[in-house]
Amino acid sequence: MIIAKNVEKNVDTSEGQLCILKGIDLEIKHGETVAIVGSSGSGKSTLLGLLAGLDVPSHGAIFLDGEDITQLTEDQRAEVRARLVGFVFQSFQLLPSLTALENVMLPAELNGVAGARELAEKYLGRVGLDHRFNHYPRQLSGGEQQRVALARAFASQPKILFADEPTGNLDSTTGAHIIDLLFELNREEGATLVLVTHEHRLADRCQHSIKLDAGEIVADDFRNITAADSAVTADDQ
Amino acid sequence: MFGLRLLWRDWRGGELGILASAIVIAVAIVTGISLFAERLQQGIVAQSNNFLAADRVLRAAAPVNPELLAYAETVGLRQAQILGFPTMVYTGNDADAAMQFTSVKAVSESYPLRGQLNVSSEAFGTVTQSTESPLPGEVWLDPRLLPLMNINVGDSLFVGEAELTVSRVIVTEPDAGGSFYGLGPRVLMNIKDIPATNIVQPGSRVSYRYLFAGEIAQLDNYGAWLEDKLLPSQKWMSLGDVQPRISRSLERAEQFLLLAGALGVGLAGIAIALAARRYSERHYDYVAMMKSLGATSTRIMTIYSSNLLLLAVIATIVGSGVGWLIQEVFISVLQDYFEVTEVPSISLRPFTIGAVTALVCLLSFALPPLLSLQAASPLRVLRRDLERSGVSNAFTYGTGVVGIAVLMYWYSANLVLTLAVLAGVGMTFAIVGVLAWYLLQGSAKVGMQAGSSWRLALASMRRRGFQNAVQAVIFSLAIMLLLLLALVRSSLIEEWQIQLPEGTPNHFLVNIAKRDVPEVEKILSDNQMSGEPIYPMVRGRLVTVNEESVKAWSAKTDPTVEDSVDREMNLTWSDVKPSDNVITAGEWWPAGASVQEVSIEAELAKRMQVGLGDSLSFLVGSESLNVTITSVRELDWESMKPNFYMIFPPKLLQQYPATYMTSFHLPSEEKRFLNQFIRRFPTITVIEMDAVINQIRTIINQISSAVELVLGLIIISGLLVLVASVQASLDSRFQESAILRTLGAKRQLVLGSLAIEFSALGLLAGFLAAFSAELSVFGLQEYLLDMDYVPHPWVWLVGPVIGAVLIGAAGYVTCRKVVNTPPVEVLRDL
Repeated sequence: MIIAKNVEKNVDTSEGQLCILKGIDLEIKHGETVAIVGSSGSGKSTLLGLLAGLDVPSHGAIFLDGEDITQLTEDQRAEVRARLVGFVFQSFQLLPSLTALENVMLPAELNGVAGARELAEKYLGRVGLDHRFNHYPRQLSGGEQQRVALARAFASQPKILFADEPTGNLDSTTGAHIIDLLFELNREEGATLVLVTHEHRLADRCQHSIKLDAGEIVADDFRNITAADSAVTADDQ
Repeated sequence: MFGLRLLWRDWRGGELGILASAIVIAVAIVTGISLFAERLQQGIVAQSNNFLAADRVLRAAAPVNPELLAYAETVGLRQAQILGFPTMVYTGNDADAAMQFTSVKAVSESYPLRGQLNVSSEAFGTVTQSTESPLPGEVWLDPRLLPLMNINVGDSLFVGEAELTVSRVIVTEPDAGGSFYGLGPRVLMNIKDIPATNIVQPGSRVSYRYLFAGEIAQLDNYGAWLEDKLLPSQKWMSLGDVQPRISRSLERAEQFLLLAGALGVGLAGIAIALAARRYSERHYDYVAMMKSLGATSTRIMTIYSSNLLLLAVIATIVGSGVGWLIQEVFISVLQDYFEVTEVPSISLRPFTIGAVTALVCLLSFALPPLLSLQAASPLRVLRRDLERSGVSNAFTYGTGVVGIAVLMYWYSANLVLTLAVLAGVGMTFAIVGVLAWYLLQGSAKVGMQAGSSWRLALASMRRRGFQNAVQAVIFSLAIMLLLLLALVRSSLIEEWQIQLPEGTPNHFLVNIAKRDVPEVEKILSDNQMSGEPIYPMVRGRLVTVNEESVKAWSAKTDPTVEDSVDREMNLTWSDVKPSDNVITAGEWWPAGASVQEVSIEAELAKRMQVGLGDSLSFLVGSESLNVTITSVRELDWESMKPNFYMIFPPKLLQQYPATYMTSFHLPSEEKRFLNQFIRRFPTITVIEMDAVINQIRTIINQISSAVELVLGLIIISGLLVLVASVQASLDSRFQESAILRTLGAKRQLVLGSLAIEFSALGLLAGFLAAFSAELSVFGLQEYLLDMDYVPHPWVWLVGPVIGAVLIGAAGYVTCRKVVNTPPVEVLRDL
């Protein structure tokens, strides 16, 4: 589903070129749950951005669903994203001028999908926010905002879901609920999940864990758990 | 469809408020001003053309070729004819019949084409208005003639061989101002009775006037067709030829309205640019999010440009409506002055101008910031610290300047005006920008020693140094434009009022016999009406210039001079230079001097190409008089005072027979004075100019009020710029205030520092605005409006004060929200 071949990312700074990622080779299969872990500044978020096609590597190639996205223009990558990808962010990234429902409708509206409203209502209901359709982000708690973000991510029915520190801005109880919801939805939708985190608890629930240090992969482990196993609820633990 | 929903959501979220109102105001200003200017123009022109009793007049010394009139008929112009001549009229054929020298005016039935006649059914009786003229067999008389000839309405009067019935008394005619030297009391009759009079023969002194009225385009076309068909003795005249004062005032007022309109749109344009910029900044993350969700940049641009277009359409419709209302309000405010007899037709042009303005404003002011959205990177959803890339400021402002230049040129069709205003604004930007930067740096250093609100305020000013310098420039530009308009407006109005101050002479007395002079002088001074000296008038003719005949001299210099001077001229003498004449060359003779000298009027001297030391020879009676020019005088022909081309030393002219003339001011409530005066001096001719002067005053008042109302409109757009500009910095202020308050700063401290920051910025902007306003007024008055520049010390006080108060208040009101929002709410949004 996702293949990275010898990916390297350099940025220009005032002190010369800085290498953020080097020699990244990885393969993520369809339906897999993957955690990218590492300390701050190890290059996790940069790798996520590259895999999702939000940015292009300095060297190397990235294949999403068999297509080399490093050869595409930004607009072509946008089309690939529209077709394959969903996102959940640490800072939720809800649009403040839109209601919860409108935020969830946005991807479907953008892609001209019919029945955007019904779809959005269904997913908002699925994350337990049926009573919050017309609330604006500022009227929602952090946990609720992230649930709206989850509904938005799944409403576009993506093949791959990228999550960037999805619990980073939440307290541990709320975070645990969000994680449960994320895995549960992911199992139901059968999407490939790639998440960046520095929480071991979260990484442990993924089948595949990639550890980064100073821009290089230092560990690439597979755990023998199924997608169903990882979807245990917080209360069960 | 999605675009529409996006627009609706933005509107609901308050994102579009300023942008939409800026466009609405731009459209409303231009539509309102153009509608109003159009109606004012039509109203005033219709009213001013009362001076001609028509829209255009063809003056001729003999009947014109009938083809000319037939063509006017085919192009749809309304016509009337006037025939004028001086003659004696009699009460009968017998020896003891009364007779009187009069000015006869024979008119066709359609006279007057514009304006009304004021008539009465008895001498000095109640006056009513009439748009009719005398029927065949009737004659209308000047009220003076009735006591002079001892006749009444209903009696008969002989004009030549025709016996006519006196049916009315004529008090004023709309085109009275044009017949200034048509001495003698008026006799108005029907042109069909002329053959019966047997007066008009080949060679008699008759003047012909052909009156035309119609649409401006028809008149202009006809005038152009006529141009090469006119004989030298024929003249095609418009209002400007008869009343240059009104025509000039109208022209300047129009220029002012256009300038004001263009500046108003410029201000609204700045507001649009600022609002669009803020809109695009706030949408940057929005676009990054949409891109991460798979929207292509083409899709983004389609959405935003169609939204913008839709907004323009809605704003144009609303703005046109508001413009219409503005114009209605103007008209109703001006109703007291505005005697619109027929509702002027409104063309589509003002609305087209409004719509095009909206489109150009959006393209040039709003599109560039929105284009920068296209460049938003989707990676921003992961990395907020990512630099914003996009369209440069220079490009944004550049397109804005081009846009406003296009609009200004389009409105005014005046390249000089457009370039002058742009240069002024450009200079303001450059000078004020640099000054503002340095002053801000300096004030921040000073502020460090002050109390906490001040320290906070000034530190904040320095921190946002560049942003504040830009803001100061925009503020001072707005204040400058307001001051500029206020200055130009007041000097225009002052100048207009100075032209005809209260107490301007409104009656002329001519044909005063020498023996009556002491008594006339006494009566005038007893009634506190004297003012102008009584001048003697001797009729004389210029025969040679520097020993050459006038004909030969003018052939060598300016052929038109011959027409002006080869006729009887009114010569006068005086030992004292008339008080409002200015000597531009040479010297006035000492009192009592017995010298062969003359003082000549400057314009005539220029046309004749003569000056100090040139010799002139006049024929007075049968004697010739040789003089040398020893002084050249400038004077105002429109001052309503006796003015002369040639003034001689008394000893040179005194021995010739002379009549005397003067002018005086008669307040309208003392008009009855004239009756007694005329009875006492039946031979003196009184020329009543009060109706003309009142009409000129009314028109000038109308124009002045119009100019003031338009200024009010511009102030609204100025305020809008201020609010838009303050709003532009709102987001960063929210964050700062939240952080400060989290750190323990009290609301009062934050509010105080905001008020101080904005007031200080306003003070600075006001000061810089005063500077650039003075500079621009100087340029405008010296080079464009052809007026004399006078410094205005008050702007140096008023500029900074309004700056501090307005901007302080706008800042305080807009930013109050900043301290009233709980810090946690703001910080959570970060």
